[in-house]
Amino acid sequence: MSVIANAEIKSRPVARVVSVVQALDLTKWIDGRPILREINLDIPSGRFVVVLGANGAGKSTLLKVLATLTRPSSGDLRLFGQAVGADAARLRARIGIISHQSMLYRELSARDNLVFFGRLYGVRRPEERAMDLLAMVGLADRADDPVKTFSRGMTQRAAIARALVHEPDLLLADEPFAGLDAPAVKALEELLGRLHGKGKTIILTHHDVDHSLRMAEQAVVLRAGQVVVDRWARQLDAATAIREMTAA
Amino acid sequence: MTTALRQIALVTAKDLRIEARGRQTIGLVLVLGVLIIAVLGLGLGPEGRVHGADATAILWVAYLFGGVLSFEKTMALEREDSAIAGLLMAPVDRGVIYLAKFLSNLVLMLGLAAVITPVAILLFGFDLSAAPGGFALVMVLGIIGFAAVGTLFAAAVSSTRLQGGLLAMLVFPITLPLVIASTQMLIAMFRDGEPLGGVGLAVLVAFDAIFLVVSWLVFERVLEP
Repeated sequence: MSVIANAEIKSRPVARVVSVVQALDLTKWIDGRPILREINLDIPSGRFVVVLGANGAGKSTLLKVLATLTRPSSGDLRLFGQAVGADAARLRARIGIISHQSMLYRELSARDNLVFFGRLYGVRRPEERAMDLLAMVGLADRADDPVKTFSRGMTQRAAIARALVHEPDLLLADEPFAGLDAPAVKALEELLGRLHGKGKTIILTHHDVDHSLRMAEQAVVLRAGQVVVDRWARQLDAATAIREMTAA
Repeated sequence: MTTALRQIALVTAKDLRIEARGRQTIGLVLVLGVLIIAVLGLGLGPEGRVHGADATAILWVAYLFGGVLSFEKTMALEREDSAIAGLLMAPVDRGVIYLAKFLSNLVLMLGLAAVITPVAILLFGFDLSAAPGGFALVMVLGIIGFAAVGTLFAAAVSSTRLQGGLLAMLVFPITLPLVIASTQMLIAMFRDGEPLGGVGLAVLVAFDAIFLVVSWLVFERVLEP
């Protein structure tokens, strides 16, 4: 299967740019089925990447593998220039993750959640950090309310604050826009843009192809667990991306 | 080591704080435990076919069902909104998560025991005055082993779509040596006047040690985000 690759992406001088993610022939089998097949990726620091694909293409599994939450069946994965192995926990501490699920404890307040995760990560002054982040996502006035009382958009903003509590270098966002209304989508888009502006590496999966291509710098299209497109997002139009996602 | 202990304390405190706010698990478990004791007590009739130390077997029935409910609820808390993924992303050893969840379950189980044991003692006329310390030691050792097994299997079952009664089906047979050893030991102590100790106590201590260590070691394999 040929991969549509932008020459500039493929020939970029990786030796001079720190690669945050380097995947070589990553394969993942689940229940006897290949979910990811020989995935090759090289994502430099500070890049905003969108991973596109139809349902079941392997996007979420790819993000779980990159998050070191699940191990690849074969292939090599290097994060921040280091092979993922026994010290995965140390590498994982440099990664933040958000998804359509908040990964928050609904009975606890937003502040308690952030302080709890901050302490687990060994963040200095976790209470202060929690309030700074809640102010950043516009939830300072609801800091002490249980997360279960939040709207979907507010929960997602609290989830972003949780993902950032330890100041990760790499943010993995798995369908973070799912279920959000238009104002919440805009707010989240602005927040991701601000994080990208601060030099964070962001890898996003998103069903809205057009929206994704407007936000991201690099687009990776998965089809049946394989990378079929890896190129600059500005050089890929939505129609082509969708065609590549669904081609037989 | 200090970091691991601090993390165990953090996760356990988080679990207990959530429980203290909602009181969902302990409330359900207590009601179930008291109901089991009451139903069995009334069902066995006023003739009192169960006397004194024999009631420990009935107590175990309440512990087992209450415990399984407790283990399921504490893991469900982690699965809700995929909070477990946030926990697994933190630089925390999986064994630390196991020990923290075990401690949370142990506290809930001891809370259950603290309420339903007096109910059973009253209902079945169980006179503890001969060896109250021995009774407490045997029951606590039994509950530790049960919580060790239950915590591991609750995590394993929660990662699958096969929930419902599966946890009880897995945990009850494995816990059988605990139930038999503790019940026989208490009957021997209170009915036959035998001293605490011997093979029964060794079985309880060995069971606890083996399942705590093995569960701590294999927890990484059973806990999927």
